[in-house]
Amino acid sequence: MTVSLYSVAHDLVALVLTAIGSVLPAPLSRWITNAGLITALGVIVFAAILLIASMLNTIVLIWFERKLLGRFMDRRGAMHVGFAGLLQNFADGLKLMRKNTFRPEEADGLGFYLGPTAYMVTSLILFGILPVSTGWNSGVLPLSLLLALVVFSFAPLFIFISAWSSNNKYSLMGGMRSAAQMIAYEVPLLLSVVAVVVVSGSFDLNTIVAQQQNYWYWGPLFLALIVFVAAMLAEMERIPFDLPEAEAELVEGWNTEYGGMLFAFFMLSDYVRALVGSFLVVLLFLGGWTMPGWVPSAATSFPLAGIVWFMVKVYIVFAVFVWIRAALPRVRTDQLLRVGWNRMIPLALLSVVLAAGVVMVKCLPVFGCLPNLGI
Amino acid sequence: MSEMWINMGPQHPMTHGLWNLRVRIDGELILDVDPEMGYLHRGIEKISEDRHYNEVVTLMDRTCYVAGMAWEHLYILGAEKALHITPPERAEYIRTMSEEFQRIASHIMWYAAFVQDLGLMSPFLYGMRDRDLLLDLFQSYTGARMTYEYMRVGGVRNDLPHGFSDRARKVLDWLMERFKEYDQLCMGSDIFRRRCDGLGVLSAQDCIDFGVTGPMLRSAGVARDLRKDRPYSVYGRVDFDVARATTADVTGRYLVRMEEMRQSVRILRQVLDWLDRNPGPVMAENLPRWLGAPYAPIGREGYLLKREYPKGVGFAAIEEPHGEAAVYVVNEGGEHPYRVKFRSPVYVNLSAARKYLVGYHVADIPPIMGSVDVCVGESDR
Repeated sequence: MTVSLYSVAHDLVALVLTAIGSVLPAPLSRWITNAGLITALGVIVFAAILLIASMLNTIVLIWFERKLLGRFMDRRGAMHVGFAGLLQNFADGLKLMRKNTFRPEEADGLGFYLGPTAYMVTSLILFGILPVSTGWNSGVLPLSLLLALVVFSFAPLFIFISAWSSNNKYSLMGGMRSAAQMIAYEVPLLLSVVAVVVVSGSFDLNTIVAQQQNYWYWGPLFLALIVFVAAMLAEMERIPFDLPEAEAELVEGWNTEYGGMLFAFFMLSDYVRALVGSFLVVLLFLGGWTMPGWVPSAATSFPLAGIVWFMVKVYIVFAVFVWIRAALPRVRTDQLLRVGWNRMIPLALLSVVLAAGVVMVKCLPVFGCLPNLGI
Repeated sequence: MSEMWINMGPQHPMTHGLWNLRVRIDGELILDVDPEMGYLHRGIEKISEDRHYNEVVTLMDRTCYVAGMAWEHLYILGAEKALHITPPERAEYIRTMSEEFQRIASHIMWYAAFVQDLGLMSPFLYGMRDRDLLLDLFQSYTGARMTYEYMRVGGVRNDLPHGFSDRARKVLDWLMERFKEYDQLCMGSDIFRRRCDGLGVLSAQDCIDFGVTGPMLRSAGVARDLRKDRPYSVYGRVDFDVARATTADVTGRYLVRMEEMRQSVRILRQVLDWLDRNPGPVMAENLPRWLGAPYAPIGREGYLLKREYPKGVGFAAIEEPHGEAAVYVVNEGGEHPYRVKFRSPVYVNLSAARKYLVGYHVADIPPIMGSVDVCVGESDR
């Protein structure tokens, strides 16, 4: 289990560069097998592998949602492109790529193009921050949880920039809603994360997951999980909290004026955020890549077992999100604000208190004992 | 944000058709609205003056594309009065059956569109799936799924096919089960209730002042239903209740339509039983030749000879799925109606928009307008 993605990328680069260096004359070969260059190229290859794998994962996620939503609605979903419609999203992406990107004459050019680009970039950064298994991560970041949440909450800013700069009344209303919504759900989101931090004693996601080896946090921190999932739904702007892009009254909200590849940026980023949101739920509450004790050791010692186990959990969590989308109508802005301030914040505060109680008690009858925190 | 006017339409997901709702808003609050209709005006009343009596039926299907049978029925009732023709009893029963099937299909279509405006995606597809069964039934006896051209002056085009009533009963049983599911998804959902309760209130007095009819009026507690109050066709002979709610809001209209569908099933079961027991002709005897099939050659004398046929006027009003529709047909003795005039319930219901929209939020517009059940084809004609 010591093999990590970075070490694989590093060794790969080192192998290739040494091979090239062995056939080159002396000064050049010394320069090309320089340790600094190997490290730098290793990081780039690592990032490329991470990006490609994450994007493929996102596209599979979109396929998963389309199929599952189809089944909820008594239909089959995408069927015709590729096996069971697996390639449908690639076809859709190609179609969007071929389309002309259109900017309204009165729109502000800088904001109009900056918005979707920054939205996409900040969403993709999250893949580099969140660990998927002991091997598939970017190393030890002591405050990785905090960093992830900060980057995650950039989105409303860029949504507002693109909404305002597209100079459309519907877009502006969508942007305003997004900003109003952010205030309502960011606070309970962070408070519910505080409960996890109180119990685990760390902001490092690797540590948080490692501490869930004995028991997962969803049991003792059930209240925090509920608040976190509800706030995460708002953060991801999915039904029932997708008011910024409520298509019934606001056409498409803040992305009304976007078409072609810029629209694809928004669409893809939405699913990247949905995937990352599911990652966070699994990391914070469902034990990340740790496996329960009854799993045979033959399965756990398999090198990719952690990743597989993590992804299974992620897709189960996402299936719940899809289920919610299939079953619930959209709430109204004032109702979301009321739920956020009057219900979720008190519940999140209560969950922090409960977390403190869990730390004091240390052992719970059903869920087992906390790892030693040195308290 | 300061006050601004936004145009919700003519191309907007909320409109369900082609009309424009101009809204003056302050942030999310609606200060004023101004409904604009007429984008889909096709001059159906004027075209009717240039068509044979039976050819107008074709236009009726296009008048309201989700309730074609009801509008055919309305026109035929008016035209028969103007021409002094009485259809056979079996034809009247088949027309009643068609109208009730159409009422269910129209209400299911309304349900599907209404819940989708609220962001509920699954019930939309459930509604479309169940409506398809009704369209299959229509197809089995009229040959068409939306534009039927089935009713004729003096009866209906053809009798029901063999085994129709058994198939229809199966569909009705299935639908009664599905209505429970619809209610679970909507009335059982707390978010749905929060989105709909107390919205778009239009009191009984306001409804009467504006001339608003149909489920909107009944949701305000007024038991006004032309099928009961002025029975036409065979509605006087079937047993049913008038659906009614007292809240006068979006939830009330939802409940009224759901109950109406159940009552329609009740009517349909009685009508199907009667049809099984009483075979007979579906077209009146001794119709004038020039009233024959509209697309068949009528014969030279039909066009050239001055016909001897009594003049007259016909007025008919029916309880259409959207409200009370009326028709006035003037017969001046020619082979075309001299004048045809319709009353569209949707036009009147939409005109009262200022009364039931101002003061609510922008996010409330889709559920409120959805609860009105807009069919622009019939409001613009």
